[in-house]
Amino acid sequence: MKKKLSFVIMLVFVAATVLSGCGSSKKTITFWTPLTGDDGAYMDQLVKDYNATNPDIKVKHIVTSDMYTKLSTVLNSGKGIPDLAIIHADRVPGYVKQGLLEPMTNVMNAQPELKQDNYLPQAWSVGNIDNMQYTIPLDIHSVVMYYNKDLLKKYNVENFLDDNVVTFDEMLSLKGKLAQGDYVVNDALLTWIVFSQVQNFGGDIEDNGKPAVDTPVMKQVFESLKQINDAGLMTPTGEDGYLMFQSGNVLFSTDGTWSSTAHAKVEGLNFGVTNVYSPTPDKFTNRASSHLFTMFNKEDRTDEKEQGIAAFLEFIRKNSIKWAEAGQIVASKDVNSSPDYQKYMQSFFTKDDTEIQSLHIYTYEYYPYISEALDTYAGDIVRGKISIDEGLKTIQKTVEDKIAQSEQGEEAGK
Amino acid sequence: MTKKFKLAPVFFVGPHLILFIVFILLPTIYGIYASFTKWNLIGDPVWVGLDNYKTILFDSGSTFHKQFTNGLENTFIFVLLSVPLLIVIPLMIAVALEHKGVKGKSFIQSVIYIPGLISISAAALIWALIFNKQLGVTGNVFHSETVWAANQPYAWIIIIVLTIWGGVGGNMIIYRASLSGVAKDLYESAEMDGAGAVRRFFSITLPSIRFPLIYTFVMTTAGAFNVFGQPLMMTKGGPQESTTVLMMSIRKLAFGTGESIAGMASAMAVLLGLVILVISALQYYVMNRNAN
Repeated sequence: MKKKLSFVIMLVFVAATVLSGCGSSKKTITFWTPLTGDDGAYMDQLVKDYNATNPDIKVKHIVTSDMYTKLSTVLNSGKGIPDLAIIHADRVPGYVKQGLLEPMTNVMNAQPELKQDNYLPQAWSVGNIDNMQYTIPLDIHSVVMYYNKDLLKKYNVENFLDDNVVTFDEMLSLKGKLAQGDYVVNDALLTWIVFSQVQNFGGDIEDNGKPAVDTPVMKQVFESLKQINDAGLMTPTGEDGYLMFQSGNVLFSTDGTWSSTAHAKVEGLNFGVTNVYSPTPDKFTNRASSHLFTMFNKEDRTDEKEQGIAAFLEFIRKNSIKWAEAGQIVASKDVNSSPDYQKYMQSFFTKDDTEIQSLHIYTYEYYPYISEALDTYAGDIVRGKISIDEGLKTIQKTVEDKIAQSEQGEEAGK
Repeated sequence: MTKKFKLAPVFFVGPHLILFIVFILLPTIYGIYASFTKWNLIGDPVWVGLDNYKTILFDSGSTFHKQFTNGLENTFIFVLLSVPLLIVIPLMIAVALEHKGVKGKSFIQSVIYIPGLISISAAALIWALIFNKQLGVTGNVFHSETVWAANQPYAWIIIIVLTIWGGVGGNMIIYRASLSGVAKDLYESAEMDGAGAVRRFFSITLPSIRFPLIYTFVMTTAGAFNVFGQPLMMTKGGPQESTTVLMMSIRKLAFGTGESIAGMASAMAVLLGLVILVISALQYYVMNRNAN
């Protein structure tokens, strides 16, 4: 009997060791981010710098691959929820609707400089729902358009950049004029380009809370993009257009603000940055997202910890110039208006109000579903592998079906 | 209670049993339960009975029905293309290595086995570069003008090449081990009776390694149905979703962007599990009966 008991105890002990997750200490702020790329290292450095100031509570940065899945798991079980996390702007409406985020009220009270006026307006407002602030912004990251200076010169089209907007017509004017193997534009981040054009053509992706993909505006968007493809100006299907830009065969590359660091490492690539192409010079849009600090509901997050989080966010507000090195548009005005910041290429997008306004962040609750469906179909539509009508219908249906699923789950869950 | 509780066996079985229960049995049961619910992974699952299954199987207008049928179809294509090769090629290599004249057997064996140890993502990166039109061997040495990952049937070819490259070694080791157990005198007497190499292979080798053959056939098939990494890394499911296998659809639904649709994903996973179960059972039955 004694043996049996000791065995059971041992079993329990083993199971406990195996199963116990990482407990959160009272003396550290656990901080999850989805920054699995190079930017994770920049964030590490920022956290290290903060901890070097000897704060009361130190921050522990944990780069979490598949963070959103892991968040679902910990939120479901209620155990191991991080004290602080970085999420993307398009996740905010969904999380708020499910009541998972804690308002930043206490944090903002603790550090009065954590306020709207000190940040880029749209980065701040994406976290504001029903007059409640749920997030503090770190950055805006956007799709932008890099240009190859040497190629612009070679084809004598430097005037394209005069008004800071390259138009569809300007691009189409190069039809038949390019040497073999050269292209006007690549298809990098094509989905984000579609989202940018929707704004340029005066449309939106939602209509009274309903998804609006199968619309005349969207059709126009795809017709225009297809025109570029059909004129042979877009890098060929399936080829790495990003790489082709770096190897000097493409005039314009539509990729992220963060790519500037990678492009800069390419020897002999003489490049600059401007806005994403548009149908007219009067209106231009760069579809953007934002990294936002947020706190998921967690019972045992003490007031001291919230103070600690506030102190950390205030430190970031003042010192996130490091983040500009990662190529991102820093949201803090303190940083993005500093002279140091102006040497970074992405300062182009904060140089005046029109540029700031061009950074468009979608806040539609079901944006992620639309984005995922576009990722699947946009390329095939632009390349003419499926018709525009059929493609848009499929995307619309996909999104609606998914919404129906998630809505039913929610209603019944209440 | 006269039977004495024996501790020793528990120590042997226990650790595995705990791991099995915690990481396989409970998740499986929960997964089956989730397939009868609507669930976003965060809240509580809500029971909906057979709704998910009805939608997936019968609602032909539904996105989920299309994803399921397209995914299953592509998965079947993958299984039909890869499994025969993953059985025949390792078997041929193993038999060839048995020949007395082959030198450096263990070296050859290692070389063939090593790719299986490399993670699929790393291997896929290597192969994606090899088949890259601008940087790769196919474009520069063989002057292929095709973008392999974006055109059929090339997209399937690179997926299969990667799979074979990585998968041959495992089965080969099993065949090598079992071939070494076949009595040599059988071959000798067959040779004396005038049986040629082909005859010896079909009449002695194959029957002698019947069980390893059944085992590898069943396991390779089940593994192939769960294909995920190769198409994800090599083609991202394209062109036009023609290499989007079912596991990719399932993962996207449950762990894609936006709110999770885990109930529907679980139902698809359960259906895939049933398909694998039925086919494995069938394979086992047919092969075992023929063998007897």
